[in-house]
Amino acid sequence: MNPDLDLGLERIIRAPRATVWNAWTDPARLAQWWIPAPMRCQVDRLDVRPGGAFVTRMSEDGEEFVPHLDACFLAVDALERIVFTNAVDSSWRPANPAPIAMTATITFGEHPDGTDYRIVVRHGDPESRAQHEELGFADGWGTVATQLAALVEGTR
Amino acid sequence: MAQYSAQLDGVFVALADPTRRAVVRRLGRGPMSVGDLASEFPMTLPSFMKHVRTLESNGLIRTVKSGRVRTCVLRRERLAVVDDWLAEQRRIWEERTDRLEQFVTGEDNS
Repeated sequence: MNPDLDLGLERIIRAPRATVWNAWTDPARLAQWWIPAPMRCQVDRLDVRPGGAFVTRMSEDGEEFVPHLDACFLAVDALERIVFTNAVDSSWRPANPAPIAMTATITFGEHPDGTDYRIVVRHGDPESRAQHEELGFADGWGTVATQLAALVEGTR
Repeated sequence: MAQYSAQLDGVFVALADPTRRAVVRRLGRGPMSVGDLASEFPMTLPSFMKHVRTLESNGLIRTVKSGRVRTCVLRRERLAVVDDWLAEQRRIWEERTDRLEQFVTGEDNS
């Protein structure tokens, strides 16, 4: 994991592994938690196998649904692991997803209290990040940061 | 949250163009009139105005009209949004995990 780009998350969920797995792999269940309320989620495609499609849409008003995720599963091990990416879309076309390309690995481990649920999300180094750095406010924030660094490091 | 995400998308869209990035960089040095800004870019004024409108509609700049002169001002606070993208991604996944947890430990959904 690259700490500047990736994130890791771990949680013990007090529910059997099969229940957590089903919440992920059954479209009707996934739709109930994937997107925060009051937005509505519609699971268009959930083909949980390597190369399978993962397509969700969202709606503010329950009427008009707009694209949310158009992704592709990379690896699936029943009850244990799901890996998907939005860098390749559901029809296997290379994609430039906004705001950022990612590969998410979700693992479901057995735990005495239920499920050891872990997520690792790896992000591409988005060009936009580079662009932001390129904006380099050398004459603004950059200067201030340099001065501050010089001050705390005791240099002049 | 949705609004924030739309804001972030807008910022990325606005910064996805070299002319617009150059305008933002230039305005980082201080406010400037549209006319003076435009003279620094090799394009027609209407084309340049389109970029200015994109920057303004995505909240990266403000424009203030005084008489016949329109001045552009950088909105630095909006750029901070980009800095926070990783924190934002983390928040999305944390909250998503909260909802999953509530869903599977809540009502019987087997």
